[in-house]
Amino acid sequence: MPDTVITPAIPTVPVTPAVLEALRGIVGERGLILDEPGKEPYVRDWRGSLIGTAAVVVRPANTDEVSKVVRLCHEHGIAIVPQGGNTGLMGGATPWPTHSGILLSLTRMNHVLEVDPVGYSMTVEAGCILQTLQETAASHDRFFPLSLGAQGSCVIGGNLSTNAGGVQVLRYGNARNLVLGLEVVLPNGDVWDGLRSLKKDNTGYDLKHLFMGAEGTLGIITKAVLKLWPAPKDVATAWLAIRDPQAAIEILSEAHAASEDNVGSCELMSRACTDMVLRHIPGTQDPLKADTPWFLMLEWSSSRPRQDGAEGMAEKMEQFLADQMEAGRVLDAVIAQNEAQARNMWFIRESVAPASRAEGPGLSYDVSVAISKVPAFIAQGITAATDILPSIRPYPLGHIGDGNIHFSFMGPVGMDRETLRQYTPAITRAVNDLVRDMAGSISAEHGIGIEKIDELAHYRSKVELDTMRAIKRALDPKNIMNPGKILRL
Amino acid sequence: MTDFIDRLRAIVGERGLVTDEPGKLPYLSDWRENYLGAALAIVRPASTEEVAAVVRLCLEHGVAVVPQGGNTGMMGGGTPHRDGREIVLSLNRMNRILEVDPIGYTMTVEAGVVLKTIQDTAAQHDRLFPLSLGAEGSCTIGGNLSTNAGGVQVLKFGNARQLVLGIEVVTPQGKVWNGLRALKKDNTGYDLRDLYLGAEGTLGIITRAVLKLWPKPKDVATSWIAVPSPEAAVALLSSANAASEDNVTSCELMGRQGIDFVLRHVPGATDPLAERHDWYVLLEWSSTRPRRSGANDTGLSEKMEAYLGEALEQGLVLDAAPAQNEAQARAFWAMRENHSEAQKKEGPSIKHDISVSVSKLPAFIEDGLAAMKRVLPDCRPVPFGHVGDGNLHFNCQSPPGWDKPRFMAYAEPISHAVYDIVVGYGGSISAEHGIGQVKVDELAHYRSQVELDTMRTIKRALDPRNLMNPGKVVRV
Repeated sequence: MPDTVITPAIPTVPVTPAVLEALRGIVGERGLILDEPGKEPYVRDWRGSLIGTAAVVVRPANTDEVSKVVRLCHEHGIAIVPQGGNTGLMGGATPWPTHSGILLSLTRMNHVLEVDPVGYSMTVEAGCILQTLQETAASHDRFFPLSLGAQGSCVIGGNLSTNAGGVQVLRYGNARNLVLGLEVVLPNGDVWDGLRSLKKDNTGYDLKHLFMGAEGTLGIITKAVLKLWPAPKDVATAWLAIRDPQAAIEILSEAHAASEDNVGSCELMSRACTDMVLRHIPGTQDPLKADTPWFLMLEWSSSRPRQDGAEGMAEKMEQFLADQMEAGRVLDAVIAQNEAQARNMWFIRESVAPASRAEGPGLSYDVSVAISKVPAFIAQGITAATDILPSIRPYPLGHIGDGNIHFSFMGPVGMDRETLRQYTPAITRAVNDLVRDMAGSISAEHGIGIEKIDELAHYRSKVELDTMRAIKRALDPKNIMNPGKILRL
Repeated sequence: MTDFIDRLRAIVGERGLVTDEPGKLPYLSDWRENYLGAALAIVRPASTEEVAAVVRLCLEHGVAVVPQGGNTGMMGGGTPHRDGREIVLSLNRMNRILEVDPIGYTMTVEAGVVLKTIQDTAAQHDRLFPLSLGAEGSCTIGGNLSTNAGGVQVLKFGNARQLVLGIEVVTPQGKVWNGLRALKKDNTGYDLRDLYLGAEGTLGIITRAVLKLWPKPKDVATSWIAVPSPEAAVALLSSANAASEDNVTSCELMGRQGIDFVLRHVPGATDPLAERHDWYVLLEWSSTRPRRSGANDTGLSEKMEAYLGEALEQGLVLDAAPAQNEAQARAFWAMRENHSEAQKKEGPSIKHDISVSVSKLPAFIEDGLAAMKRVLPDCRPVPFGHVGDGNLHFNCQSPPGWDKPRFMAYAEPISHAVYDIVVGYGGSISAEHGIGQVKVDELAHYRSQVELDTMRTIKRALDPRNLMNPGKVVRV
């Protein structure tokens, strides 16, 4: 648990033998895990930093079973922690140590129910693994764009409940933009069938968007209709040494037109990031031996296959980069000549997190500001942190097109975790104060869960918190649905 | 009540208050003049603080508030009830553009800015604000957002809710929620923004917004295409995505009946194609990359022509007229946009703004047309709409020569026949226009108890005294 967090008030109703029997009656022996070693992977988060408890792990096989389980818990006032692939970073799916209720895992509900390539949609159960969905779409010559580090183990229900981000947000939007309809089991066990595959539907309040990003505190997403896109057929990926973060924003601004609105990704990395990756991750190669402090990874993609004689994405990008070099924004650049080179570039980008773990203890903030404020934020944020701890080593990176910065620091060389921890609260306060002053977000992608519950309360207005609480109390009056996450009531 | 009016005056000043009957009238009736309401006063605050003070005063006096933008809605959502115990709160004095950030692709505006002004301001900065619809010269952005407006660019850019980064809202308690964040990513609790968008002013009053901007299109290709069937239109759109490099901006389907009405009633309209066909598609591609001179650089119109040539061979297209210049493209668009006016001139009609999933569109059209004919064999269906959104204006014109009362006797059976089929296909009975007061009962009829209860629960939680646009969207 974060040092400062005090456990919120959550229901303490136990799972009695009678309730357990009733649960067994609903989900069967296969759907229950009672032994401690069996429960362990569910009650701790994947980083191993949060450990909670649950009387029982319940794994329903379908919506009807979820509904019956929730109805039973509602009747008795038993708390429920819904869980997908358990890859969250904020502890949203990890029970509190004081949790006396159940953990409800969606992982058995992993069927793709329908693929409609003509209508560009796919209907799936909440427990489908993200990568399976990407592959299913690809096998129909379609594209499901959600893409993030944990895609081999995270599941779509969790992605939607946390409104996941990733590396394709610039073009396709966050998880909530990739969804047409949802089915949700409400805190009283009722099933809301909002499984509509409609692009337009102005019929009352947008419940769909309310459940997405609510981290399972308002209900359990059991099914979804996802949007699909045409599969990309012509992709150009480049690694750029650039003047500074301001240049990155200007490059992106002009890239829209030059690519015919086909900018897929635009990832900013500081030299400290790439150095760390090259130092710790075997098999990585510096795409560009340039002695510059900032790099940009740029990817354009089109669903139109390259045609003989016609200009493809790579040719367009080459022309564009030449123009940008002339303008002094790009210092040096290389366009991937084949898929292996493109994969190497992506591998470097995705290896920053593992490399930072190998490097030693550090701090990381998942923040966002308006895109035009990104350069000022990086500069002022680094100053704010080094004012507190001068030898701390910043390695900022991020999805610059989304204004989303993973504002990260390695501890000073040789400093152990315990010593670094003494500086953490002051640096966190300084960084988040700056985020607030720049009208940004203290959690761009990762959500609130357990970890940021007090930060959110500190930085959001009373009006906003009260409105959220009013909604939570109205939809979940017994506070049984993932209690003590996002908000204290 | 004079005390109440005096206190309103103290908040908004003489200029912000309309109490005389002739002055109030334009605010009391919707633009189609289907509904006429009454109000204690029309209140026109000049700032967010004034809006909040007015709402707090109304709360104190138990007076309901009907928020209103440009008053161009189709469902009576901005029109007060007849009992005259509400006030209309018009946002039309809050019409300033507060900031344009071309590099960050955002614009911050007050709720009362006219949509056209926003489009023009974006264009001056070489940017595009894509929301585009018939009423753009008089509707205001606050109303567009409160109703989650659609229009002709939804296919590429999404509905109004997709064009917004942040909003400021005055809550039913008269507090100001500052959600005016210019952020593309913000996962910090419940998505309040999307709850207020589309709520038709029943949960609070949108007072400001941060809008997203896009690069301005520099190369546009438009064609008028005859297709053998709605099925062919869907297939055409599906393959157009790749052919255009994902640059399809509009794909509008029209049946022959609507074209005949336009040719009959709209001066200057001419059939772009020599022969009569049953179904037409207006296809537009646009790119922000300017056309370059040089032989090896093909612009969008060359790409579209090559694509239509292939589609002709495959039988997806029967005939096509690519627009040779802007005037011709405008003429094609006029054919589409004059459907409503032509229908009005032809005589009485019933309108249905429905959506189904795109792949079910052809089957829906077939069943829907048959259903209308079953109720009234001589009626003349006028289906047209946004294929890419699965959204059709599935309208029905009276038999030739019928007057309104005679035809309206069939309105309910025809609508129910259509809506039953819509619901059977998992569709929506209001794709773009919302619920307002017109469709409150239809919504209650077609939506599940669970869904209605959930909406009511939210309404009661956020507006416990039911003073914010009461009786619209959902009955509490």
